[in-house]
Order: sequence, then C-alpha cells, then structure tokens
Amino acid sequence: MPIKVAYQATIEYMQILDEQGGLDAKLARDTLTDDQVVMLYEHMSMCRRLDEIAFKLQRSGRLGTYPQNMGQEAIASVALAARPQDWMVPCYRENAALYLHGLPPEMILLHWMGDERGNQIPEGLNITPMSIPIGSHMLHAAGIGWAARIRGDDQVAFTFFGDGATSEGDFHEACNFAGVMHAPVVFICQNNQWAISTPRSKQTRSETFAQKGIAYGLKVRQVDGNDIFAIFRAAREAVADALKGQPTMIETLTYRLGDHTTADDARRYRDPAELEAARKRDPLIRTRKYLESKDLWSADQEEAMIERNKAQVDDIVARATNIEKPKTTDIFDAMFATIPPELARQRDTMQTNSLGQFPQQETLRRGATAHSPTQSPAHA
Amino acid sequence: MGHATSSDPNIFILPDLGEGVHEAELIAWKVAVGDTVEEHQTLAEMETDKALVEVPSPRAGVIASLNGREGEICKVGDVLVTYEGASNGAAPSPNARDERSESRDSSALPEAEREDAGTVVGSVSNDPIMPSQGGKALATPAVRRLARDLGVNIDSIAGTGLAGRVTEKDVRAASNGAPGAPASAPPPSPSGRGPGRGATATLAPSQPAPTYSPPPSLPAPAAGQTQRIPFRGTRRTIAARLRQSIDTAVHFTVMDEADVSALDALRKQTAAASGESVSFLPFVISAICRAVKHFPALNATVDEAAQEILRHPSVHMGIATDTEHGLNVPVIPDADALGVLEIGRHVAQLAQMARDRSIPRERLMGSTITISNVGSYAGRFATPVINIPEVAILAVGRVREGVVVRNGGLHVGKLMPLSLACDHRVVDGAEAARCLALIVELLQSPEQLLAPARR
Ligand SMILES: Cc1ncc(C[n+]2csc(CCOP(=O)(O)OP(=O)(O)O)c2C)c(N)n1
Ligand SMILES: [Mg+2]
Repeated sequence: MPIKVAYQATIEYMQILDEQGGLDAKLARDTLTDDQVVMLYEHMSMCRRLDEIAFKLQRSGRLGTYPQNMGQEAIASVALAARPQDWMVPCYRENAALYLHGLPPEMILLHWMGDERGNQIPEGLNITPMSIPIGSHMLHAAGIGWAARIRGDDQVAFTFFGDGATSEGDFHEACNFAGVMHAPVVFICQNNQWAISTPRSKQTRSETFAQKGIAYGLKVRQVDGNDIFAIFRAAREAVADALKGQPTMIETLTYRLGDHTTADDARRYRDPAELEAARKRDPLIRTRKYLESKDLWSADQEEAMIERNKAQVDDIVARATNIEKPKTTDIFDAMFATIPPELARQRDTMQTNSLGQFPQQETLRRGATAHSPTQSPAHA
Repeated sequence: MGHATSSDPNIFILPDLGEGVHEAELIAWKVAVGDTVEEHQTLAEMETDKALVEVPSPRAGVIASLNGREGEICKVGDVLVTYEGASNGAAPSPNARDERSESRDSSALPEAEREDAGTVVGSVSNDPIMPSQGGKALATPAVRRLARDLGVNIDSIAGTGLAGRVTEKDVRAASNGAPGAPASAPPPSPSGRGPGRGATATLAPSQPAPTYSPPPSLPAPAAGQTQRIPFRGTRRTIAARLRQSIDTAVHFTVMDEADVSALDALRKQTAAASGESVSFLPFVISAICRAVKHFPALNATVDEAAQEILRHPSVHMGIATDTEHGLNVPVIPDADALGVLEIGRHVAQLAQMARDRSIPRERLMGSTITISNVGSYAGRFATPVINIPEVAILAVGRVREGVVVRNGGLHVGKLMPLSLACDHRVVDGAEAARCLALIVELLQSPEQLLAPARR
C-alpha cells in the first residue's frame, strides 16, 4: 500500500492596504466605504492620543500599570465587522475595538486605576471585562458562543489574545471546544511579535500562529494586522462562517510599538532597528496616506482632528478622574448580590481594632461610621 | 486608586514609575523653578532599576520648588515638585524633608481623606494613640514624638507650617514658653545635626526609614569632614554586580607563583623583534586559553534560570579594567584563536577605549572567563570576585625579583603571583589547583605560548 497524504493545509495571508497606502481594489471591493475609512482613521488617531496620555497618567501617579496599545489600533476594524449584538471578549490590547463597540473609554482608564467601576460594563453592551490572566477569557468566549448556539441567538463571540497566549493550555481547550461544538466564535490572535520580552521565535516552532487553529478544525486566516481593510474583510467573513457553525481563527500580523506595559522597558531586549522598521508599518500612517491619495483627507482636517482629539481625550480623562472616589468598603460589594454574614461582619468592623469580630466586642474607631448590615445592600 | 497622590494639588509626590518601584535616580531636571508648565510636560528624567523614564507634570502651573539634586536617589512618596498656588492658604514649606514626611503620613491628612489614604497604603488599622480629629493638630509623627518628649501638648500649638501644620520649630518654641518666637528656640548644635535636629528628627518613627541616619545619641561628625557622595551610576551598578556575585558563587581561591624569568626574556625578545611593546599580560592570557582546554570546567558560565552549566568551546577573555569611571570588563572574543602579539594589540586597544569610554556595548559582554591585573602598583596575592555568570577569574600580581630554589640551589628569579578564584559549585578544588599548576608550567616554558591555543 502506498503512503497517502492524510491531510494537507495551506494558510492564506491577506493584505489589502499596503504600507505606502496602496489599495488592492479587487480585494477591497464591498469592504469599507470612504466614510468608514475616515471614521476609522479619526478613531484610531483618538485612540493613539488616549494611549499616550494614559502612559503619562501612569508616570505622574494617576494610573496604575498600563499596557500601551500603540501600533495595534487597526484592530478597531473588527468592531465594524461585528454586529451590535455580538460579543467582545478581550484581553488588554484591543481598546480601539472595544470603544467602537460602545465601551465608554473612561472605563478602561478606571480599570487601570484599580477602580472596580471600570469593569462594570453598562447593561446592553456585550463586552466582558478585560482579562489580565493570559488565556482565561478565550474559554469564556467559547462558552458564550456555545450558549448562543444552544439558545438559537443570532450572536457571535469575538475573542482577542496575543501570540504568547497561544502557549497557554486554555487557548487549545477553547479552540477545541469551539471547533467540536460548532460554536460561533472568532478567535483573533494579535501577533505583535513579542510576549513581554519573549520574541516570537522563542514562542513557537510553528511557522504561523494561525496553523494552530487547523488542529481544532477552525477555519484559519493570516492577515496584515495594520491593515483595516484586511482585518475587516477577514472578520466579516468569519461572522458569516461562525453563524453557519464554523469558528475561525484570524492571526493579525502587527507590532507592539510601545513597551509591554509601563512597568517594562523594551529597549532592554529589543533591537532598535526592528522597532524602526515596524514604525514604518504603523496603521495610522498608511491609512492617512490612502485617504490623502483619494483626496479624502487634508492637512487642515488633520490639524482640526488633532485639536478635537486633545479635547476629547481631556474629557475622557476628566470623566475618569473626577469620579467620586471609591470607598474602602466597596470591595465587599462586587461579588455577592446578598452579602454573606461573615463578610458583612468584616465590612462593618474593618476600620476598627477588631477586624472580623462581633460588633459588640469592638472598640469602634472614633468618628468612623461603620456600616450597619441592614443599611447597605450590595449593589450587584 | 492604587497609587499615591498628594491631596494637595500644589504638591507632586514621586509616584511608582513602574510596578513596585520604590525609588528612582534623578537624572536631570527638565524644568526650572518659576517655569510655567503644561499638564503632561516632562518635569524630569529619572532612572528606576528597570528603565529610564520621563516624569510628566500632573497639572499645568508654575513650578515653586524642585526637590532633589541630579544624581540623587528619590523615594517614591517623597515630594518631587511643588507648584505655586494658594492651596489651603499656605506656601509650601522650604524644608523638603519636612514635607516628605508629611505627605507620606496619612494621619496628617484631614479625616475625610484618611479613608482613601487607607486604601492607598493598604492598611486600615488605626493607631490607638492618635487623638480624635476635633481640634487636633496636624503634624508628622516625628514632630508628635518630639512634643511628647518635651512634654508639650501639640494640640495647643498653632502651627506655622504648610496648611497650619505644627513644625518641629513650633514645638521647640512652645516648649520654651514662647510660641512661635524663634529667638527662644534652643540654639542649633554647631553641626546643625545634633540630637533631635536635621534628618533624624523628621524621620517618622513608625515608618521604615528611607535611608540610614545615625541615631541621635551618636556624636555627629564635625562639619566639613565627612563628604557625602551619592551612591549612584556606574558605582551602584558595580556594587550590585559584585554583591550578586558574592551572593551567588561559592568563592574559593588557589594561589601560586610562576618563575617568569624565561618569559621575561622571551617577552623582551619578542618586543625587540616586532617593534611593539609586549607586556606579561598577553602571555598569561595565552596560558589561560591553553590551560582551560584541559580544564573546560573553568571556561564556563552558569545559566541560573535554566539551572545549567554552559561549557564554552572558545575562550572569550574578559579583562577587568580599572578606569576613572569605574571597573569595566571589556572582552577579547576568541582569545584562544589569537597569538600573543595579536592579544597584546587587543589589550592595548581595549585599554585606550576604556580610557575614552568608547568601548562598544557588545565588547562589554559575552566573556567566558576573566583576568584581572591587580598588581600594577603593589599587591601579590588577591581573592578576586568572580565576574558572574562566569566561574573563574585569575588575578595577576606584581612581578618582582625573588629567590627561587631550583635543583637544590638558590637563584634570583622573576616571580609572578597568581590567584585563581573559582565558583566551587562548578569547579572542584583539585581541578582549580591542577589548572593553576598548568598555567604556572606554561608560563615557565613560554615558547609555545606565542602561537594561538586553538587553530
Ligand atoms: C496566566 C498568566 N501568566 C502570565 C502572565 C504574565 N503576563 C502578562 S502579559 C504576558 C505576555 C502576553 O503576551 P501576548 O499573549 O503575546 O500578549 P501581548 O502582551 O503581546 O499583547 C504575560 C506572560 C499573566 N498575566 N497571566
Ligand atoms: Mg504578543
């Protein structure tokens, strides 16, 4: 018996808008309208400004650790391909897509200020809180997609993660689950070439990250991650497939232009030449070049936009910083709809010398008004 | 919020610039007192143990004071910059140290803000000694203690400090029965650092002291004798590396002398033939290169993270070099592939580059073993510190004339003291001793050293 090929696969790579702003008109057909491109450019520029300001807020003590999104703004395009009822299940480098899906930008700042209210997604928005433990949330997406399928809801779950996350077991479990359950899930791997200081070359021996999805029966795509057209097209096709029970994995080739987080200094491990080369592939630059080449954008418009963005970002920052300060006791309010008695006791005695003891035994702190358990129902 | 900011908008305290950063070195101020700055404008450049960072202004305003000198280590939580403004109707106190303590001391904040301060420092326990807020004076714990020590009721003093805070001076004045009258305060001790004055007095006793200060009972050194030099830059880097080496490697040293009379003759001969000056050092390097071919355990590095010993096929020779900017270890890559003359040229070139600080970064990395010439001035044997992750270092002492016993007879010869320190975790004692013996033997019959060790 001759040896036969049991399985063979290819990975397609798609770029529609090149680094010089040149467009592949055929591939671009029926994708983004001119208005949408202008809107995306303005949106990405606003995100860049907000990202820069968030960095400065950290350095002046007004924000905790913050992972810059700089260079990965084109991911916003996914939100245009998604429908309002679709779910976004993010990690932390797709802010641009979340805002466009409706998340108030100040919530991301609040999250990184350590304010729980940054995670209380407004009712009606199908977005889960940012997931910092790498990989955990892809499983949530698989579950959300599966649930939608069982209920017959017309919904797709988009989940975002990095190249490094594919080395987590959770990633493989989520892909396998979505694949075998025909769950309407779109896995978006933002391959920004680095996982903190681990370069792509040390992350995997696979030629692409996309091919990992093949093992689980996902449809896979590799696209230029700084190309709003390619991302849009791949994401829209993935929605159609997902609704037919075929999950997709899209690998977006991009680059983290900033440090991993404000606690990192990438100059310690990254070749400056690599960074320089990546800057030339910046999604903002090529989108602007394209718009200018089509006379859809001018220097005046750019100038006006910069001023607008400044004002808008100032406004976002003001909304995050002028919010009433959280109370220490808030930490008891996020978990339970009805607070268990032990926790209530801790809450009521936490500012006394007798933490956790019965109120009768405590010496109440002068001036401190302890909550009475009946008085303060938890807001769930 | 998980970050410390001052409740006073005119005070900017140094925030955690990374994650879990406790201090940062002030590299350069980017603004001057009196400058009008915008929000987000860079105030200073600072270096944490992780990164060189720019510190932006949290607000627009006019700079009233910049606290800290360039080169100084600033603690997170200390007042970095103050702005002009009429906050609480008081100008910032000129005494930065006082402010530092105050801004960190949550008990000095109004009660309304204290709960939040509790979340900032992660502690909500209450100090039972603190009196209640009604009519309570604002003061640092150190000033409170001073008041207790002097038997003064601090709450009865009208503070003259920032936002009505009771200062050390106020307490001393009150203790002398003349509130606020500076004339009646006890004269400062001649050094200005006597008991209860200066940095010692204003360090809050309940807080970890940011830096060591002598306890007040010790006699303070007379002014003008002790020079305070910031422990920073290269000096600090060197210190950290040496500390790491001592904490990591298990050091032991074997010592011996080589009779280099023949080598001295050969070296002069070579110099005359080549027209170049040739020192002992290239010969010793060549001897090491040869010896470690037989004792590969010494030409190795330890990968602590992987828990692996890496034995290297080539010898990249680190040369511990003393410069006026501190200790450097430039590297001659593939020293074992070079003849003595070539090694000599490398040594001279590195020495020149070390002096004018032009050694490229890559020439400061990747050595597999190090040699240190300790005896240019004096000194025979030494216990050198290993240049980790390497496992061996050879210190070469000053060559001097000495008595050599050969075949039962006394001769005067040239003696070179050699001290070989190894990491006992990786190198056995006998191995080190035999390797040193081979180096001695090679130096005593030096002709073979002229050619490269590896071909
Ligand atoms: C389970 C888990 N392990 C480790 C970490 C620490 N960590 C935070 S981000 C990160 C790297 C993630 O890299 P990648 O998935 O490529 O995403 P990127 O940060 O590049 O966007 C690691 C290891 C974590 N947050 N969670
Ligand atoms: Mg990554």
